[in-house]
Formats: sequence, structure tokens, C-alpha cells
Amino acid sequence: MSKIHEKVLSKHKSEAERQVAASRHREPEASIIYNTKHTSKLNVLKSIADAMIVGDESNQNDPNFKAMKRDSFWVTQLHFIVFKILLISVYFVFGIFRYFQYQYNKMRLRVLNIIYNPTSTPQLIRQDVLKLSKVPKRLAAILDMKPIGEVGGGVKGIVNDASEIVCWTVSAGIKHLMLYDFDGVLKTNVQSLRGEIAEKLSLYFGPTDTPNFAIRIPHLNKVYYNGADDENYNAKSEKVIIEISLLSNRDGRETIVDLTRTMSELCLSHDLELSDITMKLIDTELTQLVGHEPDLLLYFGPALDLQGFPPWHIRLTEFHWEADNDQVSYLVFIRGLQKYSTCKINVGK
Amino acid sequence: MNNYNSSSDTSMPMIFLKNLFSKTIRTSNCVPKHVGFVMDGNRRYAKKKDIEIKEGHEAGFLSMSKILELCYESGVEITTVFAFSIENFKRSSKEVDHLMKLASDRIRQITEHGDLAEKYGIRVRVIGDLSLLPTDVLKDIELATEITKNNNRATLNICFPYTGREEIFHSVKTVLSQNLSGNEINEKLLDSNLYTSGLPPLDLLVRTSGVTRLSDFMLWQVINHDVTIELLDCLWPEFGPIRMGWILLKFVFNKSFTNVGSKTGEEYDGELNETNGVKDDNNQVLNKKKN
Repeated sequence: MSKIHEKVLSKHKSEAERQVAASRHREPEASIIYNTKHTSKLNVLKSIADAMIVGDESNQNDPNFKAMKRDSFWVTQLHFIVFKILLISVYFVFGIFRYFQYQYNKMRLRVLNIIYNPTSTPQLIRQDVLKLSKVPKRLAAILDMKPIGEVGGGVKGIVNDASEIVCWTVSAGIKHLMLYDFDGVLKTNVQSLRGEIAEKLSLYFGPTDTPNFAIRIPHLNKVYYNGADDENYNAKSEKVIIEISLLSNRDGRETIVDLTRTMSELCLSHDLELSDITMKLIDTELTQLVGHEPDLLLYFGPALDLQGFPPWHIRLTEFHWEADNDQVSYLVFIRGLQKYSTCKINVGK
Repeated sequence: MNNYNSSSDTSMPMIFLKNLFSKTIRTSNCVPKHVGFVMDGNRRYAKKKDIEIKEGHEAGFLSMSKILELCYESGVEITTVFAFSIENFKRSSKEVDHLMKLASDRIRQITEHGDLAEKYGIRVRVIGDLSLLPTDVLKDIELATEITKNNNRATLNICFPYTGREEIFHSVKTVLSQNLSGNEINEKLLDSNLYTSGLPPLDLLVRTSGVTRLSDFMLWQVINHDVTIELLDCLWPEFGPIRMGWILLKFVFNKSFTNVGSKTGEEYDGELNETNGVKDDNNQVLNKKKN
């Protein structure tokens, strides 16, 4: 079966990268917060009003609306106006509620940030984790690249966030980490990521005990060991503490399409019979092509948005995110682990 | 909670409020087109209330029909409910038998004269690996699908027995059986061979009982960037129309916001161009280091 694996990978290499339909609309809640327009309190209210006015205009072009009969026209319009006014008042009340909810969530996150103080000492993280009855074997995280002008934005920001997560994961004693970003920014900047991780790890563990790590890009079938300048690393003799897989949108549905293509070619040349194709075969192939299913998926945005994460791999994955949070912070990480330790998975039963 | 549920569908003020709410929501033009439900927590509810598991499932069905009613009145076109997972066959044979019976009874009931399906013009479809079902249940399903196939105002997909992986697998296998050459296979083709093909994409997914995983439900569809996922802390029979109304309001509110001021797509292209510049800078720095 490794034949299929090789074929798909060779396809990855030969083909010019397919343009992924990357219509990037954020999750509604996310966009309100990310949209710099709405950051000030007055602006939030202003945009609520805007939403109402523009919503009104768009409705007048409704074809059903024009098609109404003349005599019932005014009655329907009266109805319409009454409900529109009702909608506007409901929006207004909800908008005020949402504003206070947002402030409350932000305050909560600030308090939690103090309780779970971000420290660069692995011992403290270890202590937090040792209290837990169960720790995930495989961890995944979805990262967003923030606009370049913001604090922690751009490629540097995302690389920094990624390496921070790697350090927490190593400290927690988890051996597999998947880092997902939609556009594959981490994949294209793998060299600077290597450097950054090595730097951060030596900061956490001291320059003499820096753990060894491996970065895998499943889609290109490449593995990198340790920091960028560590050329004389011997993969066999030294133990790798953490394996990091970098994923992007390309590893999601596109990979399933690639697998289907390959299998279809094999079917046509009668190397593979249709009856040989089972769920198990697809599962093993996708595990080889992308990786194992993670146990816990952390999202560092304000509302869960899976952004094209490999669909086959989220069957029983536990999700964790904090409402209205937009930072890669330790509190999301540790609270995610805490939640995972209490959850019980019973497949079907 | 039980009392409040039973009173909510009989008392006049509640019906009035429901109609008012659904008509108001409708005028926003942002109502989700396709809503998915994972109906989780019927057994825990039975345990909590100290009633039989059977009655828990009954309560779950009651809750479902109320919520569907609200959804269809508010302008939702398609609802997909996760009724039975392929993994559920692992349960005790007594419970499986009962669930089968309950399902075929209920499917028959909602398609009966004057009930939900006729009232809202709902086309009932049963999706999933139907080959796993006993023949008498299959007959009921065929009959129900036949009766309602000309209804076109709304669609109810009942996932029975279903898993998201099986759906992807089914799609892959259907594509393979068509003997197509490699270039003809793409994401769209796989999409059109799913059980939910031809329907608008999923907009909102609701899961009850405080569990934060998908448990194999609509895996392919849910990863779209504009799917809102709502994970609630209450058990399914406790999840009444009021909570559903709140979720709809939240969805509509957020959607009207993003429709107005969203230019995120354009912004992003700009960012990507800039990042290339930064990447080169980084490489230069690295090269310098090496030298």
C-alpha cells in the first residue's frame, strides 16, 4: 500500500501548486473584532446603525417585493416596515448585550491571564500538567496570521506564536504537534521557524539541554531536524523529543482529491480493484499522507472556525477555544489540556 | 424545564411570540439556509429525570419537532439531523431495536396527513448507509420519501445511520466507480457525490450536551470557513425553541454585520504580498548568518 502513498507524493511534487480557492472570509464574530473599524466603543455602536441602514436599502431590491400585487402592496409594505422596525430594535438590544458580553469576556481573559501566568519555565508548565489525569497524545493548533501592522502580526508574529506553542508542548510532555495555518505561511517559512524554535527552546531549557525536534511537512514529504544552523545533527543517534507537522489548506480536501485521483488511475490500470478500497485503506493512506488524528485541537481565535482543517482528521478531536480571545496565550493551551483531561469519549455507546 | 417545554407549544402568547420572532428574523435576509443538529443527550436526560431511556428518546423527538418548526418558520430551508450513528449499532440490541422502531414510527408520523411535513412543505430524505438497516424500516423510509418528494419549500435530512467518514468514503467510491481519468476528478466532483449534494452549503451546526467534538458529523462540510459552530451545554430534550431562537438571532446579527463591512478577502491578498517581502528579508538574514 506504500505504493499509493508514493504516487500521491510524487503527484504533489510534479504538479504546479494548485491555486486553492481561498476566499478568506472570517467567522462573523471574528471579523467584527478583527475589523479595525469596530475597535473603539463608539464605532461599535456606529456600525450597528450602519448595518441597519444598509440592510434596509438592500431589501428594497428584493424581486419578491416588486412582484407584489398593487392593491396588497401597501399592506405588505406596512407589514414589512413594522417587522423591519422590530428587527432593528431587536438588533439594537442585542448589540448592546453583545457589547457588554464582549467587555466581560475580555475582562475574564485578562483575569485568567494573570492566574495562568505565562512563564518561560518548563517546570511550572510541567507542574500544571502533572495535576491532570489524562494528557492528549497528539495536539493540533490552528494559527491565524494577523495583519502586518498589528502587534504580533505578519510572518514574524506567526512564527513566534508557533515556536511558543512548541515550547509549551515540549514542557507538557506531548510528543506530537500539528500546526495548521490556512495559507501555509509556516511551511514556506520553515527555515526561520526552525531558527526561532531552537532559540526559544534554549531559552526555556537552557543552551545545554535544548531538546531535539523534528519538523515534518507531510505534503512535501520533508523532514527537518533541529535549528537552521545545526547541520551535523545525526538523526539516528539522538532522540527526538517532539515531532512537529506543518499543515495548511492543501492537506485538507485537496489531499483527499489527490488520493481519489491516484486510486482512480490505479483502478484504470487494474493495479487496484474497486472492492479493495475500504474505509480502512483510505484511513491508512490519509494517516500516511497527513498524519494521525489529533486528540485535542486548540484554536486561538475568538470563535471556532476550522478554516479547511483536514476533514478526515477531526472525527473525535476535542476542540478548545476561548470566546473573544485573539491571542496565542498560555491560558488557552492549559485550559484546553484541562478540559481534555475531564472529557470522556464513548464512540457510539 | 419539562413543564416549560410542554407549555411553550400550547399557550397562545408563546405561539404569538414565536410567530412574531420568526417573521422579524425573516426580514433580515440573513437567516441560515442549512442548519445541522447533533441531537445528543437523550439518555443522559433520561438518567437525570429518572425515567426510562425510551422516554428520553421520546422527549428528544418532541424537542426536535418544536425546533424544526421554529427553523422552518424563520426561513431555514434545510435541516440535517444526526439521528443515528453507524457506531450506535454497538449499543445493546434492545436499545438499537427500540431506536429503529422509534425512528420508523416517527418518520411515518411526520409525513402523515396534516403533520410537520405537510404543514411546511418539507421533503423528507433519509441519508447514510441505508444498507445497514432492517428491511421493514427501509420500507417505511421509502414510503415517507415517496410521499414527500414533491414538497419543495424545505428539506429535512435525517442521518440514519450515518457517519461523516462514511460519507466521504461513499463519495470517493462513487467517483471511482465512474472510471474517470485523473484530471476529471476535483473537489467539486467529490462534493457533488456527498449525501448532501445539490443543497446549499451548511451555515450553522448546533450540538448539545456540552461536548466539544463533532463525533463524525458532516466532517467534509463543517470545515468551510463560514460555518458557525454552536456547542451548547444543555441536553437535547432541554434545548427548546427559546434557546434555538437565541442562536438564530446571534447568527443573523453576526451575518448582517459581516455583510456590511467585510473586505477581509481583499485585505488578505495585500498581506500575503507583504509577507513575501518579509520572507525574503528573513532569508537574507539567514544567509548573512551562514556567511
